[in-house]
Amino acid sequence: MIKSIFFTLITLVFFYIIWINNIFAPHERYEMPAQYAKIAEDVKSYAKEGKQLFEQNCQACHSVRYDGVYISSVQANPKLQTLQEKYGKVLPRDVYESVFYEDLMGLKESFGKVPPDLSTIYLVKGKEYLYAFTLEPQKVLPGTSMPPVMTGRPEETAKIVAYLKSVAEPSPEEKSKRVLMGVGTIAYLIVMGVLLWIYKGRLLKRMGLH
Amino acid sequence: MLSRIGRWIDERAHLSELWQSQMVDYKVPKNLTFPYAFGVMAIVAFAIQIISGIFLTMYYQPNIHTAFDSANYTIMKEVPFMWLVRHVHAAGANFFLAIVYLHIFTGIYYNAYKKPRELTWIVGWVIYFVLLVTALTGYLLPWGQLSYWGMVVTAEIPTSIDSAPIIGSLKIGETISILMKGGYEIGQVTIGRFFGLHIWLLPLILLALVSFHLYLVRAAGISNPEGREIDKKKEGVPFHPYITLKEGAYLMGYLAVFFFFVFFYMHHFLPADNYDPADPFKTPAHIAPEWYLLAYYTIFRSIPDKFLGFVAFNLTLVFLLILPLLDFSPIKSARNRPLFFIMFIVLVISSMALTILGTMPPTPTNAMLGLIFTAGLFSFFIALPIISIIEWGWYKAKGGEKQ
Repeated sequence: MIKSIFFTLITLVFFYIIWINNIFAPHERYEMPAQYAKIAEDVKSYAKEGKQLFEQNCQACHSVRYDGVYISSVQANPKLQTLQEKYGKVLPRDVYESVFYEDLMGLKESFGKVPPDLSTIYLVKGKEYLYAFTLEPQKVLPGTSMPPVMTGRPEETAKIVAYLKSVAEPSPEEKSKRVLMGVGTIAYLIVMGVLLWIYKGRLLKRMGLH
Repeated sequence: MLSRIGRWIDERAHLSELWQSQMVDYKVPKNLTFPYAFGVMAIVAFAIQIISGIFLTMYYQPNIHTAFDSANYTIMKEVPFMWLVRHVHAAGANFFLAIVYLHIFTGIYYNAYKKPRELTWIVGWVIYFVLLVTALTGYLLPWGQLSYWGMVVTAEIPTSIDSAPIIGSLKIGETISILMKGGYEIGQVTIGRFFGLHIWLLPLILLALVSFHLYLVRAAGISNPEGREIDKKKEGVPFHPYITLKEGAYLMGYLAVFFFFVFFYMHHFLPADNYDPADPFKTPAHIAPEWYLLAYYTIFRSIPDKFLGFVAFNLTLVFLLILPLLDFSPIKSARNRPLFFIMFIVLVISSMALTILGTMPPTPTNAMLGLIFTAGLFSFFIALPIISIIEWGWYKAKGGEKQ
């Protein structure tokens, strides 16, 4: 009995550390004031506004391909619409990069590298980093070629983060559907497990094997 | 009507006889403990991987330009419910390996590798090895930063052979490394090869090996926690319904935990850094292999000499393979073997510590700890022959087979 408890505990602790919360590995943390964190979380109210702010402040260099938003010079190019009719809203990356090669290389000339596409950046960096970096790029990543466009505008930065979140993550309605699905699946499995266990007990009693 | 069709088929296929002889008349020990369910959980995990993998191949594109978008846009956003399939496949791979590890440790604990089950153990080892390769090839496919750089680091490991004294000049390591990558850098050739291996060759090999493993379990009989062979006619219970219902209930619990992760906790199985498309010009800050390889990685990393490190972590794998030879004691199961039990705890703690150390930065203290736990891991394998000799003495003193 004591052996079973020991092995169960050590296994659970091990997987907790490896899969859920690794207390030994280094973590980077970035601060974000609570009121702005609230804005960045609230996709429903601020994503639309965030998109407009993105178009005004960021679109000159950054695309959000998964939302069909391309850098301004590409967006103004009539070729884009023809291509989108053929390939859909989200152009394949190789098509996009070869047709608009000159636009992208122009950006590379001014910044040293092509500014990254921001479709999944929210999932990579998280809202705290995005907020801190966009607000003061040099402070978070010294030597970066990102210009301090949003410095001194924390609320608008948070709204842009909310927009990026809305692109990267499923919508709130979709999320609640998934939660419902998850709860249903898990509840079904637990109920089935319990029923099987009870059925097993009864059947074995009847067979005299208990 | 339906039962008539059923009877018509049964008269020709004799399926009910097969069921009766293979499931009901098949007797197993009554005292099988919970860890024996890891075997059936592994089979279910394998089935889940195959089914979800088939659906993923419908939308995934093995092309360096479109792989990332096909995984993160087409699959995750465009096609309904494919996010679920990807979550299941990604979490399933981790759960599969976790269950396989638990299954291996159960096998070691109950000495399920001893006569007459040596071949079962060896085939199981091959399954484990192929599984690691499958996991490694599959990890590259989403073409994120971690996929790319993880593979860069992994393909570097064989080059450590080249730092050996004499054979190093042959450049075997570099050849292996180039063979793995399909060229001097990871690119279209690599992703194409890995895709082919991951979806066709390796799963087919696994399927064959798993079938053979299962057949061997039936042929040699299930081992026993008490460490003695039971007389099946007197003590055994019918496999169906006794084991099917018991392990079926365990299985539901396992699936409930699995789907908890699938729906609510994918941060570890789809790590944040892998949502960044692969970029050969940008090295991410922390590159470490996936958790199931970390113990080997720590052994490799903490030994100062590269070649020795390479030898040491391969030696661990070899020791696991020849476990039936190292442990020739006639006594089975850790329940009857106090010395073995102590060394088993040393093994468990060292392998867990090595895995956790692998996630930590490579400081001198961690390297020292890594060396200590590597010594712990090896002490298990080295102690086995010694324990066996001592136990032969006890066995003879007690009167050998007569007891």
